[in-house]
Amino acid sequence: MRITAAIAGGIFGLLGAAGQAFFHVIPPPAYGICIACHMRDLVNWIAAHIYPIYGLKAGGALIIPGGPVSYNFPLLTIVGILIGAVIAASVNKEFKWKVMRVWWQRPWAEFFLGMLVMISALTFGGCPIRTALKAAYLDITAFIGLIMIAAGVFVGCQVLRKLT
Amino acid sequence: MDLLPAIASIFLGLIMGYLGQRARMCFIGGMRDYYLVKDTYLLKGLFAFLVCTLAGFILFQFVSPAIKTFPWFQDGGAVFAKKWAAMGVTASPSLLLPVPGDPITWSPKAGAHIILAVLGGFGLGFFSCIAGGCPFRQHIMAAEGSKSAIVYLVGFALGAIIFHRFVAPFIKAVLA
Repeated sequence: MRITAAIAGGIFGLLGAAGQAFFHVIPPPAYGICIACHMRDLVNWIAAHIYPIYGLKAGGALIIPGGPVSYNFPLLTIVGILIGAVIAASVNKEFKWKVMRVWWQRPWAEFFLGMLVMISALTFGGCPIRTALKAAYLDITAFIGLIMIAAGVFVGCQVLRKLT
Repeated sequence: MDLLPAIASIFLGLIMGYLGQRARMCFIGGMRDYYLVKDTYLLKGLFAFLVCTLAGFILFQFVSPAIKTFPWFQDGGAVFAKKWAAMGVTASPSLLLPVPGDPITWSPKAGAHIILAVLGGFGLGFFSCIAGGCPFRQHIMAAEGSKSAIVYLVGFALGAIIFHRFVAPFIKAVLA
C-alpha cells in the first residue's frame, strides 16, 4: 500500500495523543511528539552531564532546562526518527549522499538556518508539529502561532521567488 | 517507571521515521507548496494531523488520567493557579495562557506569551521555508544522505544550547 501524507499525518496525530495518554510523556502536556523540544531535552541532558553548563541547584542537583519528563533520562524520539528513516531509505534503496544545489541550502548556510530555526522554535515553545499538537489541545496561543507560521512561510515564499 | 517515556518515545520515533520517509511528510512544506504551486498533497497531511490529534485527545480523555487538562483554555488554569501558589504569585489565570514550553512559562502576563508566539512563529515559518523543510523533514533528509541536512542538524542541536544559555535569560529580562 502506498503511504500518502494524509495517512502518515493521521497516524502521527494518534501517536502524539497516545504518547501522552498511555506512555506518560507528561509533564508538560501536549508533549507526545516534538522535534525541537525533544532534541533540546537530549542535547541539554548530555551537555549538563558532561559539563554543568547551566549550573547547580541549591541541593547540588543539575539544572537541565527542558521538559520535566526528561530530567532523569531524556526522550529519544530523535534517535528513533533517524534510525527509522535510515531503515526506510535503505530498504527502498533511496539512500544517496547528496548536497543541495542552491546556495542558501549548501551546508554552511544550513548550519546557521538550523540554529535560527531552533531559536525561533524554542522562543515559541515548539516545532511546527508541537504547535499543531498544542492547537489540537485547544491552546489559544498555539492558534496564533500557527497563523504566524503560515505568515512566515508566505513571506519566505516571496523571498524564495526573488532568489530563484 | 522512569524509563517508560524514553523507551516509548524511541518506538514512536521509529514509526514516525519510517512513515515520514515513505510519505515525504513535511509540515512547513504543505503551506509552501500551496502558496507556490497550489499543491495540497502535504497540506492534507497537516490537516489530517490536526483532526486525528483532536479526535485522539477527545477519545483518550475518558480512558486516561494523563489528559485531565484537555481543553487547555478551560482546564489549564488550575495548573497555573497551583504553580503560582507555590511561587507566591497572586494572579487569576487567563484563557490565553499557553501550554508550558516557552521561556517565560509561568509568567501571569498573557500579553508577553502572545508576543513570543508571534515572534517565534513568524521566525519558525520564515527560516524553515528558506531552509527547505520543517525540522522533521530535515531529519528524514539527513537519514537519506543529504549533507546539507546533516549540517542543519548540528546547527539545530547547538541552537538549543545557545537559546538556553543566552537568549532565554535575555527574553526573561525583557518581558518579565
